[in-house]
Amino acid sequence: MKTRLLAFGFLSPALIAVFFFFLLPVLLTVVFAFTNMSTSTGIMGGAYQINETQMGSLRDTEVSPESIEKLEGAGYLISEAGLAALAEEFGEDTAEELRDDYLGETFAARRDLERVLRNLDDPIRNTRDRKAAADLFVSTVIGERFDTAEDFRAALVETGIDPADHDLLTEFAYTGWTWTTANFSLLAELPSTMRYASNTAFYVVCTLTFNILFGLFLAISTFYLPGRLANTFRAIWFLPRILPPVLYVLMWNWFTWDRGFIATVAGWFGAPQQNWMLHTSTHAWTAVILINGFVGASLGMILFSSAIKAIPTSMLYASEVDGANRWQQVRYIILPQMRWPILFMTSYQTLSLLTSFEYILLATDGGPGRSTEVWALAAYHTALNNYGGNLQYGLGAAYALALVFIGIALSILYLRFFNFKELLSKPRIEQ
Amino acid sequence: MTGTPRIWPLVLILAIFSTPLVIMYLYQIIDSVASPDPGSLIPGELDLSNWRFLWERIDSGRPTIWQVTFNTFLFASTTAFLVTLLSTTAGYALSRLNMPGRPYFLGGLIILHAFPTITLIIAIFIILQALGLFDTLLGIILVKAALELPFGVWIMKGFYDTVPWEIEMAGVQDGASRFRVWWELVMPQVKPGLAALLIISFLSGWSEFVLPLVLAPGSSTQVLSTFMNAVIQDDATADFGLFKAIGMYYSIPVIVIYLIFQKQLMNIYGGGTKG
Amino acid sequence: MANLMRTSALVGALVWSAVPALAEDINITVWAGGSNDSDSYRIEAIEIAADILEREYSIWGEEVNITVEGRRDFTGWDEFKQGVTLGAEAGTAPSIVVTSHLDIAPWSQAGYIVAVEDYVDLDAWPLSNVYPNLMEIASYAGAQWGIPQDSESRPFFYWRETMAALGYDEDQIDALPDMVASGEYTLANVLEDATKAVEMGLVEEGYGFYPRPSNGPDYAQFYQSFGGQLVDPETGKLVLDVEAMTEFYQFFVDAVAAGVTRQNHIGTDWNQWYNEVANGRAAFWHGGTWHFGRYATEGNDDFWGTIQFSLIPAGDEDGRANTITHPLVYLVMDQEDDRIEEIAAQLVTIATEPRLNSLHAIQSNHLAVAEAQADIDLYRGNRWASEATEVLLASANAQPNHLDYGAYSEAMFRGLEAAWTGVQTPEEAVAEVEAQMRATIGDQLIVR
Repeated sequence: MKTRLLAFGFLSPALIAVFFFFLLPVLLTVVFAFTNMSTSTGIMGGAYQINETQMGSLRDTEVSPESIEKLEGAGYLISEAGLAALAEEFGEDTAEELRDDYLGETFAARRDLERVLRNLDDPIRNTRDRKAAADLFVSTVIGERFDTAEDFRAALVETGIDPADHDLLTEFAYTGWTWTTANFSLLAELPSTMRYASNTAFYVVCTLTFNILFGLFLAISTFYLPGRLANTFRAIWFLPRILPPVLYVLMWNWFTWDRGFIATVAGWFGAPQQNWMLHTSTHAWTAVILINGFVGASLGMILFSSAIKAIPTSMLYASEVDGANRWQQVRYIILPQMRWPILFMTSYQTLSLLTSFEYILLATDGGPGRSTEVWALAAYHTALNNYGGNLQYGLGAAYALALVFIGIALSILYLRFFNFKELLSKPRIEQ
Repeated sequence: MTGTPRIWPLVLILAIFSTPLVIMYLYQIIDSVASPDPGSLIPGELDLSNWRFLWERIDSGRPTIWQVTFNTFLFASTTAFLVTLLSTTAGYALSRLNMPGRPYFLGGLIILHAFPTITLIIAIFIILQALGLFDTLLGIILVKAALELPFGVWIMKGFYDTVPWEIEMAGVQDGASRFRVWWELVMPQVKPGLAALLIISFLSGWSEFVLPLVLAPGSSTQVLSTFMNAVIQDDATADFGLFKAIGMYYSIPVIVIYLIFQKQLMNIYGGGTKG
Repeated sequence: MANLMRTSALVGALVWSAVPALAEDINITVWAGGSNDSDSYRIEAIEIAADILEREYSIWGEEVNITVEGRRDFTGWDEFKQGVTLGAEAGTAPSIVVTSHLDIAPWSQAGYIVAVEDYVDLDAWPLSNVYPNLMEIASYAGAQWGIPQDSESRPFFYWRETMAALGYDEDQIDALPDMVASGEYTLANVLEDATKAVEMGLVEEGYGFYPRPSNGPDYAQFYQSFGGQLVDPETGKLVLDVEAMTEFYQFFVDAVAAGVTRQNHIGTDWNQWYNEVANGRAAFWHGGTWHFGRYATEGNDDFWGTIQFSLIPAGDEDGRANTITHPLVYLVMDQEDDRIEEIAAQLVTIATEPRLNSLHAIQSNHLAVAEAQADIDLYRGNRWASEATEVLLASANAQPNHLDYGAYSEAMFRGLEAAWTGVQTPEEAVAEVEAQMRATIGDQLIVR
């Protein structure tokens, strides 16, 4: 019993962290994917407002024409009730003057009424007072923002709009996000969806192949080199892994930009100055795959190297005695031992490549012409970063959700594939 | 190890493949202290003005490099400490303590270990905001630590798995509690694991870019990665000499750690990690 | 908070006279997007305004201490907008932002910003003196949300020496702005001359026509050049003119095919770009009025002797020569405390004083926002400001403030990028743009 307590005590801080930043986000991603959440709807719920530009689309709804007309015609009405309030706040004289000249009149905009108040014989001099005074006469909901549905309905009642239309209008006026499946139909409809998906597949397959082949090559070749030389090469290839991505990509940018290393050297041979990373989509893909591939290959090198080291040296000696050459040694002894590391690397990297976008973001940002835009980057661009400034969280979450599903499915697949039972060897003390 | 009949062709091939990286490293260092003219690759005179960011602000709108460095250090070290602390306990529980649901925790751990975390960033933002931690260092520290946890627990579990059971058995038979056994007998055995995890999470925190970019955009929470990226993107001040000098400065701790812990790092990354 | 404003303003009005002066500390934060050192007055003008406003309050009998904290170290526009919106959601938004007028529609809908007209008198100095069309650009759905902070426009540039070598004499070059305005000199002529310039070796291949290397409002100008319309004035809906869009993409594809523009031009480093156009490596290019100062820092001391500028030429007889002005605006963001909104609105009003605004206009080579600035020596004494105002501003139009314009302009540029880089043909690209716009904009779009 005590052990259990200890176990949960030991586990719970990690569980709490995992709950807040893994499980909850996964759930929320599912939820958001079914909303139309964006910059203009806000995240934390909305308010109620109908503004002038929305009047056009209001006509497309089932709200009765009379109500719409009434909404449009309303403004700042000089009513007795308003005048009484005005008299109380700003004195009888002001109210009297306004009553004489304007009783029953409607001003379309507050600014018009403010002008009147400013030009009275006994004007309201202070800007803030003038606005407060004008607001005493408000009888419109157009352009006004209400925090709750109740406030909005109350204002509708005051303006005398047919109560039958209140529900429709309230629904129409809501600025916050609503539930929808439109994100998924949009994804199905957009031509870019297929392109991003095939970009992603291309990227993952190519990078992965490069990682494994080149990682194997590095591991095997350094294995046959004398210690110092091998360490030098390992160091060269290990660095990309631990250098900060911002710096690593900067080095690539310098290497490939219009006046960078390649362009300068190519220039000696008369090649025109050009950006070797962004020249065409082929250039961009090559750069993206190499940038990610070098990082991945260093991981491959380390994994495979340690696997080669685990091969009993006697086996290698024996093969040499049998007269096997280098190539045969690699082919028949080393490579067969690499099966599991390669499998591990494949499964592991498929997932991380599917979802990583950091290096692409820094290097090409999906360009040129969206040709290197992969799925994860599209999710990021849609939800958090686009020039138009209208961030579409809902659609972005729908993009992310696809990855979440693939991630979970692949993980479970791997779980079955790799011998899970092995991990489960029972703690021995309790038995 | 074996005889060396013809290693030179191999060295040649390796050298050819390594050339781009070596050139990048080389010019990374050269350009930070001497900018060649555009279109030439011969370094000019020694010129330390690329390092001016250390004693003046590159643009009066930016925070000083010292504040940014401090932020980065605070972010990386706190993250590393948190990850190590939580992984040490959780890893032990998963490796050695019998409890209901252990298979599920382990299974979950493996899924999380390989899980696409960055796709959750939109949702994470909303949670941070609800907790009032958006645009704070504490916020990104918590997120980063949580995202690193599955990896940390995985590594620590691996280290615990290699500790012989006999050590604990002996302790328990002497009448010590499991907690004491863990603290006094097992912990010394996994010290290398602790150190490795600390180093790796520190490096990972030091390099982190996307989390601070999205979750802490304020200038008071800028870290070196976002600072450097902002300087690079700014089209008013751009020369690669300056960028590279900042890059040099940024990577000093990484290089130092690498030189000291080279061997351990290779080993631990070999133990199966993110790629 | 806006609907609380009514009551609190009333309470405020009562308190105003009733309570003896208490020292009040107000913290104002200003975030400026896309700003570097030369744009420092976007923030400093608010600091100066704060000093003036404090004095006004003090004479009035109130002690108000205003601290202004500015920030403009954003990586780019994307990061700035991301920071502002996420900050607004988190309740850590600044009090004042300097941003594109295009943000007004989504941000007002989301309730991130409050209308300045709720706090200041638009009929009084200095707001009454601001150009009415600029005020219009800072308004949306019947409310005045912001105050224009600067104005600019995006002209077409010519390298005089290259033009002379192409056979234009001095007078002809000087007359270019008029010829462009009247439609005599079109984009077809540009393409023709640029091709000649490349063939004659006056400029290198890819440097005949050297456009802006990144997304921006500039590209909508070329759509307009071919007769495209961004918004339907009748219904206020966005317009996709398929024919104009195709011709606009085709122009860039032709330029690439003729070797006058590089296929991989988008993404060129801005610094390199500035340096090249300032020193005559390109024959034709387009940019912004604020480039004037930048060319000088790139080593071109003789702008008037080396560069000619005009509207963006018409593409064909359907189109028109045009230029887009993309003013930045001061917006007041929604705050817990209405008093901060009020002070913020008063500060941006004071910062619009002709003298204060001219500091920014001249230092950063932008154009004026108010008529009276023409009478300020600092402004009048600047040849660029005066001439650019004359040649360009009169014909300038702005992009529409529309909730979906972001999606529209994003799709338009993505399509251009795809056609330009040869990923798709112009027709394919436009078809995809149309599908994209129909899906994302829906009934707010008119396709012609």
